[in-house]
Parts: sequence; structure tokens; C-alpha cells
Amino acid sequence: MEELNCETAFTIPIFGGIDVGESVVVSWIIMAVLVLLSIVLTRNLKVENPGKGQLLLEMAVGGLHGMVNGMVGEKGKRYVPYLMTVLVYIGFANVIGLFGFKPPTKDLTVTIALAGMSIVLIEFAGIREKGTKKWLKSFAEPVAIMTPFNILEILIKPLSLCMRLFGNVLGAFVIMELIKIMVPIALPVPFSLYFDIFDGLIQAYVFVFLTSLFIKEAIE
Amino acid sequence: MSTLLAIGAGIAVFTGVGAGIGIGVATSKAAEAIARQPEAESKIMKILMLGCALAEATAIYGFVIALLIIIFLK
Repeated sequence: MEELNCETAFTIPIFGGIDVGESVVVSWIIMAVLVLLSIVLTRNLKVENPGKGQLLLEMAVGGLHGMVNGMVGEKGKRYVPYLMTVLVYIGFANVIGLFGFKPPTKDLTVTIALAGMSIVLIEFAGIREKGTKKWLKSFAEPVAIMTPFNILEILIKPLSLCMRLFGNVLGAFVIMELIKIMVPIALPVPFSLYFDIFDGLIQAYVFVFLTSLFIKEAIE
Repeated sequence: MSTLLAIGAGIAVFTGVGAGIGIGVATSKAAEAIARQPEAESKIMKILMLGCALAEATAIYGFVIALLIIIFLK
């Protein structure tokens, strides 16, 4: 049961001590890796005679861009870079269990923050596209009696987003720990392939897919 | 007391039944649809992914509730 807890990595000694969780530290590691990769990979890019690395990079970024663009639609083009960033971050966060870290998405606070960012973006997209008046009016659609349900939806959307991600990652983590305790040799490998890599990437995709679906709904 | 907690957590995880049936039905329909129209496979896969994620959510909620029961009521 100790594996379930989200431990405090260290405490900042100001304002009576601010606890910094382990998930935050692992998030910093992921951020550092992604930023370093971005800097290293985008150096020496050429228009003519691109190298093999550049072609691969262009293929990966182009593929991701096309995928997210297809999900969010033509009108929501401006949100594609943010969604791609979230996709890459959650993907890395879910897979990092392979390297012996605890996945940060296993911590409920991280997924709550991600879902909060998503719902703010969704409502912001709606306000920006429709204007404040029309956005307020859209709560009374299709009939006025639906208003409380539409307002409740603002709460339910991020709740289901964060609980889905958190539950999936935590469930996979618990099952992997149980398998490692029972049979420590050879057996964890195929399960790790499924739970750590496949499931993690699918959940990252689903999170971004649902967010872009809500954005698409808000701006139509 | 702990026996009751364990039983409650077990009942909460029963939500998995619904998710299992739902994903099974969705997948069988998707297989039928792909057999009928193989060229629409990518679109069908996308919708199947979304449907599975939504159906799976209920099972995940059950799991989260079970964990909350065990951790917070102990």
C-alpha cells in the first residue's frame, strides 16, 4: 500500500515550509528532457539537403500536427500547439514508469491541474468565438430548462477528464506492482508493454481527443 | 469493520461489468462495420477508441471509489 502514496520530495523552507511533491519533481525532469530534446533536435535545420534526423523530426511533428488538427477542426487551429504540448507531456509522463520513476499522472493533483487547464481553455475558446453575450446565452440551449445541466457540465467535464486519466494510470501502476511482487522475473515484461506503453499512450490520446472535441463543440 | 470495507470496495468494482459489456458490444459492431466497409477503417477505429474510452470511464470510476473507500474510511 505504500506505493499508492504520493510522497513529498523536499520542503522549501519559506512561509512555514512549502511541500514539493514527488510528482512535481518528476514533472520537472520530464520538462527538462523535453526542452533539451527540442533545443538539440531543432539545431542546424536546413531547407535544402535535410539530414536523416531532420526528416524523421519533420515526419513526427507533421504527423502529430495533422492528427490534432483533424480532431479540433479548421476553426480551432490556434489551439493545436497547446494540445500537441499536452499530448507529448502526458505521453511522456505515462511512459516514464519504465525508467523507474513514479508517473506524475498517478498523483491526483497533477491530473486536476491538467483538467482545469482544459476546461479554462474550452470556455475561453467559446467566449472568444461567440462573444460573452452569445456564450452566456448558449447555456440556455436547446431549451431554457436545460440551464442547470449545462452549468453542471462545466464541473463534470473536467472531473471525468481528470478521474479517467488518474484512475487508468493508478490502476495500471497497482497491477504492475502486484505482478512484480508475485513474479519478479520475465512475466512483467509483456504486461509492462501493455500497461506502461500502450495504455499510457492511449490515455494521452484520449485526454487530448476529448479536450479537442469539447473545444470543437464550444466554437461551433 | 475492515471486512465490511473490503465488501464495499468489492461491490464498487462491480461497475466493471457494465464497461466490459459496453466495450464488447462496441468492438463487435466495429468489426462488423469494418468487414462491410474496409475502406472506412481509420474513421471507425477513431470512433471506437472514443467509445471505448467513454465506456471504460465507468469502470475507472468504480475503481477510484473502491480505492477511496479503502484509503479514507480505514
